[in-house]
Amino acid sequence: MARAPNKTPTFHRLFIANRGEVAVRVARACDDLGIAPVFAVSEADREAPWVAGRETVCLGPARAAQSYLDPVRVVAAARQSGCTALHPGWGFLSENPLLVSLCETHGITFVGPPAHVMHRMSKKTPAKRAMRAAGLHVIEGSDGVLADEAQARAVAERIGYPVLLKAESGGGGRGMRVARSSGEIASAYGEARSEARAAFGDDRVYMERLVEGGRHVEIQIIADRWGNVCHLGERDCTVQRNHQKLIEESPSPVLDDGERQRTLEAAVQAARSIGYVGAGTMEFLLDEQSGKLLRFMEMNCRLQVEHCVSEMRSSIDLVHEQIRVAAGHRLSFSQSDVALAGHAIECRINAEDPNNDFRPAPGTITKWHVPSDAGIRVDTHVTEGYTVPPHYDSLLCKLIAHGPDRNAAIDRMLAALAELICEGVPTTAAMHCTILASEAFRSHRYDTRTIPGWSAGKGS
Amino acid sequence: MATWTPDGRTKRPELAARMANHGDGWQLLAPTVGLFRRGIAPGAIVRGGVSLGELDVLGVLHDVVAPDGCAGVVAPVADQHRGEVAVGFGQPLVLIVAAAALAPTGEGDEPAAGAGEHARLVFPAPLSGRFYARPGPDRAAFVTVGAEITRGQTIGLLEVMKTFNRLTYGGSGLPERARVIAILAKDEDDVEAGTALLELAPL
Repeated sequence: MARAPNKTPTFHRLFIANRGEVAVRVARACDDLGIAPVFAVSEADREAPWVAGRETVCLGPARAAQSYLDPVRVVAAARQSGCTALHPGWGFLSENPLLVSLCETHGITFVGPPAHVMHRMSKKTPAKRAMRAAGLHVIEGSDGVLADEAQARAVAERIGYPVLLKAESGGGGRGMRVARSSGEIASAYGEARSEARAAFGDDRVYMERLVEGGRHVEIQIIADRWGNVCHLGERDCTVQRNHQKLIEESPSPVLDDGERQRTLEAAVQAARSIGYVGAGTMEFLLDEQSGKLLRFMEMNCRLQVEHCVSEMRSSIDLVHEQIRVAAGHRLSFSQSDVALAGHAIECRINAEDPNNDFRPAPGTITKWHVPSDAGIRVDTHVTEGYTVPPHYDSLLCKLIAHGPDRNAAIDRMLAALAELICEGVPTTAAMHCTILASEAFRSHRYDTRTIPGWSAGKGS
Repeated sequence: MATWTPDGRTKRPELAARMANHGDGWQLLAPTVGLFRRGIAPGAIVRGGVSLGELDVLGVLHDVVAPDGCAGVVAPVADQHRGEVAVGFGQPLVLIVAAAALAPTGEGDEPAAGAGEHARLVFPAPLSGRFYARPGPDRAAFVTVGAEITRGQTIGLLEVMKTFNRLTYGGSGLPERARVIAILAKDEDDVEAGTALLELAPL
């Protein structure tokens, strides 16, 4: 995209510690900027289409724990292949402070925030405290970790039932328990603690008011090392299944302008106050029970899968900016240069069978065709004949549609979905068509608990 | 990472190499990503547990040991590892050739001494290409079975990317003079780098 000048000196060689669609996305930015990418691969990905003709280092066996998820192997491979920078992509080790520290120790520039910022934001209550201090609304709850059951009861009486007990080091929906009355506090407190100890090795828990059926809104931030922080607007990721996002769009169709503007400015201030560097996302819950406020949930210290939605609206290439910023340059734009135009929607096409409880379906893709219409962007690593390995996640491709308004973007997406051909494995494409064509989606009558236009028991 | 022995000395962590069948021997493969140094010399005897060299993984030195179930002699390779080599997971470290006298269940005393007695010496192809045993279709072969060869002597031609290269006998781990026991590659065979071309006996 036009704004990043390609002549800015950055790095000669950059290590891509990721696979699939993520590696393809980062490599495209490297090619644009004149950087030679070196790809990490596992044994299962040695012959993958996205590394054909590229330089690779094999990290280990197919199992991610012994390859893509081993920070020591990743940094050793980056170092001995002569790379001076490492891009973690998203997923795998992208939010692992150990990887960042290892990079710092071994003289490799990590494309992302400093280790101490990442470590702080990975713990829930310090993150919440920092965000509240910067002027963001947070979900009411205990001020820090709960000392004992009596304190849990006292906090619950103060903020009102139902309440949610959450693990301090948690994530992915584990170590969480709901208590709907004072009688349920004892068991919820005990169960959340034991689950947190088993899952994360840390049994500290804290409490929040349970916000039921809110909408998931997040703000894209990018910052440089010179204290410049910009936002690229918000994204609405309310269409989810089991905390896995299915459709993301920008702008949020239900957010009012006053709350949007206030929160965007507060988010920029918050990112500046914690010394954030690189691309990051602050996740909020739009609390429709109490005054339609955006309440901070957590910060993702990395680029996200759905960053393309913000790129389509702003015409800014976030991976270019990430790499430039990591090399010590200033952002190539200021907030006043950011012009967010139209409406963008992203659908994630997964190799899953939506009629069979979203069961992942590895296999060989016998026929593959992606749309190439105006206003459509396709991010994929798949080619015809590619065998989807059973070891990694099921994302095959992302379709992003951009249009002057929401209805135009939806129509473009429906046309693109109709043109997409994937044979050999079942995909979620047909489910996206059903959702986008539904009245519930068009009129925004849904929250994180329901998939609009799609009933859970359908077909099974 | 270092483990401690009861008397307080540190012991390097060990990693077992991975093993892949390769002709009548085995290829021992890197168990993880790292810098491989001090590779075992050609001609040495390898059994399960023998150190093959050290692997530097972000500054931590590991001993790479041969896995159980392999036994043989380290074959000389054309691009003999010098200094340190950056290896990825599964990259070949050492090629070992099974030696008849060395069953995997060998009794295991005095391994290094007398290696030459039982070691099968081979001369490998330095590059991948097409091997020619004779200078022209109607000419005699460069070497025959039973012939004595000395260092620097031409033993064949190797056509690599349309260029003919003389294969001259020599290389680390090979004696100054040797007797040809067998010619392993046929005339006009396509060979890989490291493929054994001649089997030799030291003189």
